[in-house]
Amino acid sequence: MEKSYTIIAGCGRLGASIAGKLSEQKKDVMIIDCDKTAFRKLPMSFGGLTLAASVTDLERLKAAEIDKATVFIAVTDDDCTNICAAQIAKKVFHIEKVVARIYDEEKIPLVTGMEIDTICPTRLSEKEIADYIQIGGRDYVGK
Amino acid sequence: MWVNKKKKKNILIVGGFHEARSLANSLLEKDYRVTVVNKNYADCEKLAEINKLNVIYGDGSKKFILEDADAASCQVAIALTESDETNLIICEMCKEFFHVEKTVSMLNDPSKTDFFYQMGIDRVVCALNMITNIMEENALMDEMMTMIPLEEGRLHIAETAILHNSAMIGKKLWELNLPKEIIIGCILRGDQSLIPRGDTSVKEGDILLMITSDKQKLNAVKELTKS
Repeated sequence: MEKSYTIIAGCGRLGASIAGKLSEQKKDVMIIDCDKTAFRKLPMSFGGLTLAASVTDLERLKAAEIDKATVFIAVTDDDCTNICAAQIAKKVFHIEKVVARIYDEEKIPLVTGMEIDTICPTRLSEKEIADYIQIGGRDYVGK
Repeated sequence: MWVNKKKKKNILIVGGFHEARSLANSLLEKDYRVTVVNKNYADCEKLAEINKLNVIYGDGSKKFILEDADAASCQVAIALTESDETNLIICEMCKEFFHVEKTVSMLNDPSKTDFFYQMGIDRVVCALNMITNIMEENALMDEMMTMIPLEEGRLHIAETAILHNSAMIGKKLWELNLPKEIIIGCILRGDQSLIPRGDTSVKEGDILLMITSDKQKLNAVKELTKS
């Protein structure tokens, strides 16, 4: 099987945590953030690469050979940046699996039909809360 | 009678303050209907001082704000925010949700130009590229009078005058030692304009109009202005 190589755009809490976990599993990871102080959030044991650049900077991305990646995860704090980065990853670098975090549900149609997967925290929380209301109470907590 | 009147075009401008203001003023003068969207309240207040201008306060990268701005009735949408990504999304939303005929995006990073076109934006305006071109034109001004950049500056239409001390005078076009990627398309002589052939000869006071690739521009200027 081809070795997986994951690129994470945005080193926030989520990005840093995914990067740390993948690195722990000895997977190849590169994390990109425009602010290099953001890399402090990575765990001490992080063994992947870091790149201090804008996640939509085509020239830097090309130089970093991101087309070799098998997975691209866009998790910056800005929806527009995530969508733009995901579209670049898919259309310019033809990365196989691309996923973008999009807070604003109304923006999701912009990437449908482009083979880009989306994660919408609002929808996920909504579902969790609906489940909670249905099951409720002590039985549900921690499941 | 009003039926015959040409339907007013609606134009939506998202983001930008100084750019938006001067663009809105100029468009209103030409009798377009203009709406600006800005997410800075103080900027909105200043923009609202402009007569006949619709101002919407809000983040233009949100669908409901674009709905408020009645994007669906606009024929042209122009994204002028500072962020390239936001501009891209605004234009994509205008196309996808509101079927705006023409979307124009400002871009800071010229390397994204092709990507923006690939994503279906109709016109990409790269301010940096334009300024560079204008600066270059001004730096070369002595030799070359006007340059019109085409195709994002890959191609130029340039105008050069043949001065009295030019070594070109009396030579036929095919005798000129010009680089390959250049064509002299027209010679302006007095009030005449000639479409030249290889055997047309250059005279003093002629103005040559040529189409040239960006790379060969300097060589052409050197060759034509040597005395």
